[in-house]
Amino acid sequence: MRNTNVLILTDDAEFARLLTACWQVERQLPGICLVTSEFWKEADTSSPDLIVVGPLKDGKLGDVLRSMEPNTALILCAPSEASELGLLRKKYPKLLHVPLREDWTQVVLLLAGESLRRTEALKLARQAERHAAQYANQATLGRYMYDMKHNMNNALTSLLGNAELLLLEPGGLSAQSLAQIKTIHTMALRINEVMQRFSSLASELREGETQSQVETEEVNSTPTPRR
Amino acid sequence: MQFSDVENCAERMSVQKKVLIVDDSPAQVKLIQGLLEPEGYWPVGLSDPRRVEEAIAMERPCLILLDVVMPDRNGFQVCRELKSNAEFNSIPVILVTSKDTASDRYWGQQQGADGYVTKPFTRDELLRAVRRFA
Repeated sequence: MRNTNVLILTDDAEFARLLTACWQVERQLPGICLVTSEFWKEADTSSPDLIVVGPLKDGKLGDVLRSMEPNTALILCAPSEASELGLLRKKYPKLLHVPLREDWTQVVLLLAGESLRRTEALKLARQAERHAAQYANQATLGRYMYDMKHNMNNALTSLLGNAELLLLEPGGLSAQSLAQIKTIHTMALRINEVMQRFSSLASELREGETQSQVETEEVNSTPTPRR
Repeated sequence: MQFSDVENCAERMSVQKKVLIVDDSPAQVKLIQGLLEPEGYWPVGLSDPRRVEEAIAMERPCLILLDVVMPDRNGFQVCRELKSNAEFNSIPVILVTSKDTASDRYWGQQQGADGYVTKPFTRDELLRAVRRFA
């Protein structure tokens, strides 16, 4: 909840004071921004995860709601007619209404907590999806390289072997050719080392993957104790 | 063939050890031939793995160097079939391949291969493996 932001939009100073005071005694506190309907459009609200709308000046509620995205997570604590609420819920599917009764602060905190946890979970899920897509791309590249290893090794065999064959009879070669062939030979050996490192890394990763699968299966097969 | 050719051939057969190289890549066959010849071996190349038995019957090699990844018939298959054939199973087979994982080696061993050389190999690595059997 620490990485989430809440915007409290109200013209009632007492409402804002009471709500923030209640929030501050909670164990986990989101980033809170207070704004009145007068400054609502001008304020840099930087897309809050939740908006709590408290009592506003007459006629301001409609203006404020009209300027909001329909997908905004919204807790409405302003007094509202039942018919009006029905219409609002159609337009804002994530709208929650909390009547201003005695325990309204507790209800708002409870609902806000759930809403923010959901937002956080969604953020994490999206992040995980992005990472998974990145890893899938890298895995495709890795698989391609791994598949190409056979061709690479065959080409290297020719490079290395022919260089060695030429070096078997250095007498017929000029000093420059000899040096160039030696370079080809050395470089072919170096590529071979790189390929071997790649192979050992690939097998290590495979082992790691197998081990993690085994551990996951073990965890999944462990019966959970009944409460 | 003239008499002198036959004589040369007979002499070569009595002195040199014949090695059958089976690889679908002619460049690899030529390379291995080039590496073995100066060492006194008589390398014979074959690019079609389906004709291994025929080549053995004709050439009577004392060692077979066998590639693994080949079209139509892979080296593991060839090795398995040679080793289950009483006529050919005494000829040592060295798998010469770019398949370099431990499981590949194990599988090669399971097919009855006597040796395993991974590509790319150095001249010394190849000769060391060949000298173990011929």
